[in-house]
Amino acid sequence: MVGVALAALVAAGALVTSGEAFAAQTQVLETGSTLLYPLFNLWVPAYTDKHGDVKITTQGTGSGTGISEAISKVAQIGASDAYMSNAQMKANKGILNIPLAISSQMINYNIPGLNGEHMKLSGPVLAGIYDGHVKYWDDAAIAKLNAGVKLPHQQIVPVHRTDGSGDTFIFSQYLSFSTPGWSKSVGYGTTVSWPAVQGGIGAEGNPGMVNALKGTPYSIAYIGISFKNATDAAKLGEAMLKNRDGKFVLPDQKTVKAAVDATASKTPVDERVSLIFAPGAESYPIINYEYAIVNTEQPSEMAAALKSFFTWAIDPAAGGSEHFMTAVGFVPLPPHIAALSKKQIAMIH
Amino acid sequence: MSAAGQQAPALSSVAPGMRLSRRVFSMLGWAFSGVAMLLLSVSMVWILAVVLIRGVTALSPALFTTVTQGSGGGLANAIEGTAVLSAGALLLAVPLGAGAGIYVSEFGFGRWAASIRFLADVLVGVPSIVLGYFGYVTMVEGLGWNFSVAAGSIVLAIICLPYICRTTELALGQVSRDLREAAYALGASEGRVILRICVPAALPAILTGILLALAVSVGETAPLLYTAGWSSYLWDGALVHSPIGYLTYAIWTFINEPFASANALAYAAAFLVTTFVLAISILARFVIGRGRY
Amino acid sequence: MTFRTWLAIIAGALPASLAAVLLFLALYAWPAIHFNGWGFVVRDSWNLGNLYADPVDIAGMSVQPGAQYGILFLIVGTLLSTLIALLVAVPVGVGAAIFLAEAVAGSLRVWISFFVELLAAIPSVVFGLWGYVVLIPFMAHHVFPFLVDGLGFIPIFAGPPGSGYGLLTAGVLLSLMIVPFIAATLRDALVSQPAPLREAAMAMGATRFETIWRVILPGVVKVLISAIFLALGRALGETMAVLMVSGNALNYLPQNVYAPISTMAAFVVSQLDSALQDPSGMAVRSLAEIALVLSIISIVINAAARLMLVVWGRVGRPAGAA
Repeated sequence: MVGVALAALVAAGALVTSGEAFAAQTQVLETGSTLLYPLFNLWVPAYTDKHGDVKITTQGTGSGTGISEAISKVAQIGASDAYMSNAQMKANKGILNIPLAISSQMINYNIPGLNGEHMKLSGPVLAGIYDGHVKYWDDAAIAKLNAGVKLPHQQIVPVHRTDGSGDTFIFSQYLSFSTPGWSKSVGYGTTVSWPAVQGGIGAEGNPGMVNALKGTPYSIAYIGISFKNATDAAKLGEAMLKNRDGKFVLPDQKTVKAAVDATASKTPVDERVSLIFAPGAESYPIINYEYAIVNTEQPSEMAAALKSFFTWAIDPAAGGSEHFMTAVGFVPLPPHIAALSKKQIAMIH
Repeated sequence: MSAAGQQAPALSSVAPGMRLSRRVFSMLGWAFSGVAMLLLSVSMVWILAVVLIRGVTALSPALFTTVTQGSGGGLANAIEGTAVLSAGALLLAVPLGAGAGIYVSEFGFGRWAASIRFLADVLVGVPSIVLGYFGYVTMVEGLGWNFSVAAGSIVLAIICLPYICRTTELALGQVSRDLREAAYALGASEGRVILRICVPAALPAILTGILLALAVSVGETAPLLYTAGWSSYLWDGALVHSPIGYLTYAIWTFINEPFASANALAYAAAFLVTTFVLAISILARFVIGRGRY
Repeated sequence: MTFRTWLAIIAGALPASLAAVLLFLALYAWPAIHFNGWGFVVRDSWNLGNLYADPVDIAGMSVQPGAQYGILFLIVGTLLSTLIALLVAVPVGVGAAIFLAEAVAGSLRVWISFFVELLAAIPSVVFGLWGYVVLIPFMAHHVFPFLVDGLGFIPIFAGPPGSGYGLLTAGVLLSLMIVPFIAATLRDALVSQPAPLREAAMAMGATRFETIWRVILPGVVKVLISAIFLALGRALGETMAVLMVSGNALNYLPQNVYAPISTMAAFVVSQLDSALQDPSGMAVRSLAEIALVLSIISIVINAAARLMLVVWGRVGRPAGAA
């Protein structure tokens, strides 16, 4: 009995002392957007290599979790594709939404035989798919946009996110801005009450969306651009979306940059703004700032660590460099937005 | 005394001259029973095969020494975390649960004891996600502990408590009355009789219950998602304000990811958890507990 | 204080924790219970409202505009998946128990029985892993198409075979998780039936199987029923495995057995972080209401099962089972 107790004590001691060596380092928890997660997984090893006194744990849990855990101070960095609402900002003074990069979203589908072509879709058609009005792939609305394409008479399976998701936010904003009917009935948010569509599937995180598409013929889903490698590897189709000017575009550096140029100027000081459905013939309609949701009040080492990390992240020579951005299909912040972000970073103390 | 169970089964006890319908019924009956057993065995083997084979191929020495890096790396932090959380849970649940079990077994004639027995069974029925939710709102947010070993261990302890209570009670019930009466006759006090005589006599069975509780806590996921959080680093010794990793998180999260490195971690974690739980079950049944058959 | 009193106090940890959990849930969910009313269990609408608008005041409670909570699809999903699980698990469990008790003996029985009980020890998330990577594609490619072809004339088996994420897959996975329990409990009960009963039946000319079916089995029906109830209790609380294979339907009822569903326990896990987005807090409290409903149902079923065992007498309980 005594022997067992002694052994347990020794083991506990060993466990704690092994951790003691790390106690001097600052432990940062980053949680949230699965869209931003792949980029964070590239950033963290590169950053912690040079700054050994900081340890950053990354998690891909959905923008909703990023925001709520940042608010409740459970996580130090909440990654989110969605900015916080006015009500949330009012309820939580002293919280910042700091854009770190600009990302976009793809609309992917899995139609046997048609995945190689880029189908043309628009906001109203997508709204129809997700609220059940457009039931079959060969519906008149889809056929009109895709003249000459042989569409199968199969039921569409719309896939949506179950977790509180920034991807849901920007997708539902695109639907709201382009389709008045959707705006009135469903609206936008990190969580929306998806209209009942028979067979509609809910998936967890961007990875879950990719898997759901892979396994479900005739399905359609909204997936963040950082998962393009995965969707290409799974040979899933990518749609061309109708932008505000009526042109059909794919998300690439050119179209995203065009949209940024058209809308970034309206970014306010607190940087909470939507970049969805930008005007411009080349603009891609679904782009957004990738936010780090952070509290201004932090313990001193944490404040220093966070400021150093964010500054590194938006630095075009470091985190914002081509190497990182193109790996995930993002676009770096334009200089005047980066300046606004720097001002917000300085507010962390 | 079921002799029928021990002798060699005579499956065809059908006597000549029996009505065809009875013969057919019996044969179909055995066929049904055999098919059921086959279905069950095939599924079992399939599950174990998939987990063990894919898990073994994902194992490597590096797994045990490196921590998780993003969606790759190793499982050192998760293994340590599971150990810490389970140890914490048992540290709380064993004294409280065994105490409750002893009380109910030795002084089980009162109403308090009867209600404890009943409530232990009720507590087992509460889904673990409910307990996790409770832990999140009261400890993680309410008490401001954030994701922490304390919150995770306490919730796990609540989950383990009824198992340990029940098995301790059953174990003590097996101890013969003669032993107790002899001890009392020699003048030992109540506490001494129970703690020095009865408990050691029932120890193998009590340990079986503790091992069972350990298996349950190692396999839990949902409650830990909201109380322990996740950390890609080894434990820093803090009981609060510091999240910790655990193997079941790796299984749940990484199988989803489109990256092969993440999937490998998920299979490896599943392998570790499954083999550990199976090893505990085997240990409990054949080494410690007396076989029931 | 005497040793006995100390013990009584320590033992109080158990009821204290249970009381704390239930009390907390009830108190925390009270505003939601008040807001949602009885419609909660008959509506099919889990709607947090417009999260990006300001909260409005309805009946003295602050909620997001358009918020309405109804969990009918969850209740239906939970009941249907559990029903399918039982429909599969009971016959298989009974058949396996008969096999184990009657067709094998001695050490072979010990080993095979133990092997079956190991299945019960496997954690839920590992079942979910297997379900996700193996069962779903298997069902989608090899089982569902045949069901549609063969049984398609029955409405619930008709229609698009879907992707494997759905009701039938979840039900089958659940059944795998509860079968060992039914089989083990029933096997113990069968084995401990008195030999004279068997011998008498066979002396009267019954075949072995007839003996089992008409004489032995009826004697253990009560044990079987309470085992089914306990298995039902476990199936209701299953979270991770169901979450990974059910397809997470929202606000609609399944049209056929291949359609996605959601269960109460899995819904709470997947929606907690979304609910935390609601600045008015009503969503989290509605989740607490779901947890409360789930706990009450599980507790009632569990208590009924235990009560049955007590009233009808214990007949064989596997060591280490809760």
